[in-house]
Amino acid sequence: MRYVVGYSANARGRDAVNLAIALARRQNASLELVLVVPDDSPYNVVHPPAAGYQSILTDQAKLWLAEALTLIPVDVPAQTHVRKGESEASVLIAAAEEFGAGLLVIGAGSRGLFKRFTIGPVASALLHAATVPVALAPQGYGRTDPITRLTCGIGLREGAQDVLDVAAAAAGRRKLPLRLVSLVALDGGGAPEAAKAPREHADERLAAAVKDRVFHGVPVELAVAQGRSIEDAVDHLAWEDSEVLLIGSSRLARDNSLFLGSTANRILRSLPVPMIVVPRSYKSVAQRHGSIQSEEVNQ
Amino acid sequence: MSAEALRSKSSEKRPGEKGPSEKRSGGKGLSEKGLKAGSVGLIGAVVIGVSCIAPAYTLTAALGPTVAEVGVHLPAIFLVGFIPMLLVALGYRELNNAMPDAGTSFTWASRAFGPWIGWMGGWGLISATIIVLSNLAAVAVDFFYLMLAQLTANPGLADLSANLPLNIATTLVFIALACWISYRGMETTKTFQYVLVAFQLLVLGWFAVAAFSHVANGTAFDATAITPDWFNPFAVGSFTAFAAGVSLSIFIYWGWDVTLTMNEETKNPEKTPGRAATVTVVVIVVIYMIVALATLAFAGVGDTGLGAGNPDNQASIFAVLAGPVMGPFAILMSLAILSSSAASLQSTFVSPARTLLSMGHYRALPKKFGRISPAHKSPSYATIASAVAAAAFYIITRTVSENALWDTITALGMMICFYYGITALACVWYFRAEAFRGIRAFLFKFLAPLAGGVILLVMFVKTAYDSMDPAYGSGSNVGGLGLVFILGMGVLLLGVVLMFIMYKVQPAFFKGQVLEKSSQVFDPDV
Repeated sequence: MRYVVGYSANARGRDAVNLAIALARRQNASLELVLVVPDDSPYNVVHPPAAGYQSILTDQAKLWLAEALTLIPVDVPAQTHVRKGESEASVLIAAAEEFGAGLLVIGAGSRGLFKRFTIGPVASALLHAATVPVALAPQGYGRTDPITRLTCGIGLREGAQDVLDVAAAAAGRRKLPLRLVSLVALDGGGAPEAAKAPREHADERLAAAVKDRVFHGVPVELAVAQGRSIEDAVDHLAWEDSEVLLIGSSRLARDNSLFLGSTANRILRSLPVPMIVVPRSYKSVAQRHGSIQSEEVNQ
Repeated sequence: MSAEALRSKSSEKRPGEKGPSEKRSGGKGLSEKGLKAGSVGLIGAVVIGVSCIAPAYTLTAALGPTVAEVGVHLPAIFLVGFIPMLLVALGYRELNNAMPDAGTSFTWASRAFGPWIGWMGGWGLISATIIVLSNLAAVAVDFFYLMLAQLTANPGLADLSANLPLNIATTLVFIALACWISYRGMETTKTFQYVLVAFQLLVLGWFAVAAFSHVANGTAFDATAITPDWFNPFAVGSFTAFAAGVSLSIFIYWGWDVTLTMNEETKNPEKTPGRAATVTVVVIVVIYMIVALATLAFAGVGDTGLGAGNPDNQASIFAVLAGPVMGPFAILMSLAILSSSAASLQSTFVSPARTLLSMGHYRALPKKFGRISPAHKSPSYATIASAVAAAAFYIITRTVSENALWDTITALGMMICFYYGITALACVWYFRAEAFRGIRAFLFKFLAPLAGGVILLVMFVKTAYDSMDPAYGSGSNVGGLGLVFILGMGVLLLGVVLMFIMYKVQPAFFKGQVLEKSSQVFDPDV
């Protein structure tokens, strides 16, 4: 398994590298660090012409990547790449496709003072167009130890099964305990009775989701989180430092690409742990390989 | 295998990768051109060229000061002024092909003449771009308030621009905004450039037609009949006026050379740049001639009222003339000039920033100038330093001079003559081994840049000498010395002082340990 890491030589890039290491260690993945340098548009008229800036920039990019390699422990194999393009997001997506990467890791934080996730423009663009799962490292993510639990957000709508498939496969592959969470927002009111109905509905939804499903022998825990808002519900849930939240992209997304729905967006804003967003109808590399292998066995 | 070796298998190139082009020219190992091939056609290249020249801004800034020097012979000077620009640009193209480098004049002059002249060449380029930044911002601010006045039909708002503290504050805001956009690395799109250029040309054409119809209807301010004499450069009264006019008209063509140096980004690198340069210059000369003739025919060169010779009108001629000529549509002129100067302001920031960065990179300046922003991949320290310098230059000029825009434009003309002159001679010297090895090399690498360089340096010395006169330019002076001289020479002297400080602090560059002096070796196979 290869992960593409969108690297930049700042705190955001380091967050991404740390998360990539933590995820890679669990399943011996290798990292492809990609640093995107902007391509000069000829219409961005520079006068007097300064043609050689790109070479200085490329040299600097190689230096930055060399520094980045020193951040990566010896047990995680890593390679670096300098790529040019007008849009950082599209270059990263192209790189992920070229390497057959199973995951695209980026640092999501920018200068959000109070919120852990304030989405930068690149992260935002990726979340609307990526064709592979995107892992977002929150600001200041410093852990590089392997992750210990996978939490999967189960939504109300069609497509929830897809993300559960991916979560089950990912947890099975990494031998990670899996927690399935349904988030319930109770707008206004506050009467305990009012909370009952949605809560019960959420319980039913979780029960339905896990029914008839094989979990490859990993422990599964069910949880319902509620709060005045989605953000509040996320805050009420207990999070381990070393876990990762997996959620599906919006039903508005085209097949095999991401589109972060409004709920996911709100989760993102209050989440203390990294989040992986899975494209709609996405089949992980292992799932695809799995089906091929079983066919071979049948023959 | 060691862990280090395992992890350092950094792959920079793979098949099909859109990686950095490793194409290097002339074996100089200086740098590589990074622009995508095959993206700009002839029309695109012409649009880029015209946009670089920014004719609406250029005319409003330079028409007045040029008329003040040469009167009705403005069309002649505009035509003659193109010749040294053409000659120098040919040399510029040869250097750009042989040594594409972010430092341009700085790097080329260092290669040809060694670190000291190279440093001053870079300094001249940086100064010229810093000065034009402050002028662009000031022109944008003038038209910003003028447009507010036109929008609200309240002429009082236009006078706000004359309020010194407010004017300086607004200009600083414009500079800061442009710096921020440039720092963030936001790019101008193709559509934006097409619209901007089309709009400028349309409005300038409209202005000319409106002015000529006033002349025909007898409603012009000072209807002046066009005579062939206007096109005769030898009829200009004195060499002083001629030199001043030529150094100003270098400014009006500044930016044209960009079309010649576009190669790899064009669809047909063999033909597109040359054709684009030709078409661009035809478009520009036609629009300049029409607008210059229209202005002179409508307003005359008198020094009262709307006359193009009136010192009050020099700073920004269209700010004064657009209303009487275009009537209610004058707001289009404000919009055209505001948009073109604001766009140029943002893109011009890139140039001094990259030259400063390059000088920092080659250790001709403190290392921090070579810093690149990790998030935006743009020169960080150098961009901000350029903005601070442009702001400081504007504050000084504005507080000392009654007519700051006029004086900055004249000083700018001088500065462009200085660094273009050095660059052109660097071309001659760098290619000296090839100079007499064929007609093409003789013309483009020797004769054209030599003639252009000599002309420009003569213009530079002559303008510098004349500008000592306290009556030169707007007539502002400090202690009996013309302000234009103080600005021009002061900036160059500051460069000399900084150069010696740098020599004391970081002698490596000045000892030729970073950029070695060299020249193109004659290679009969090329």
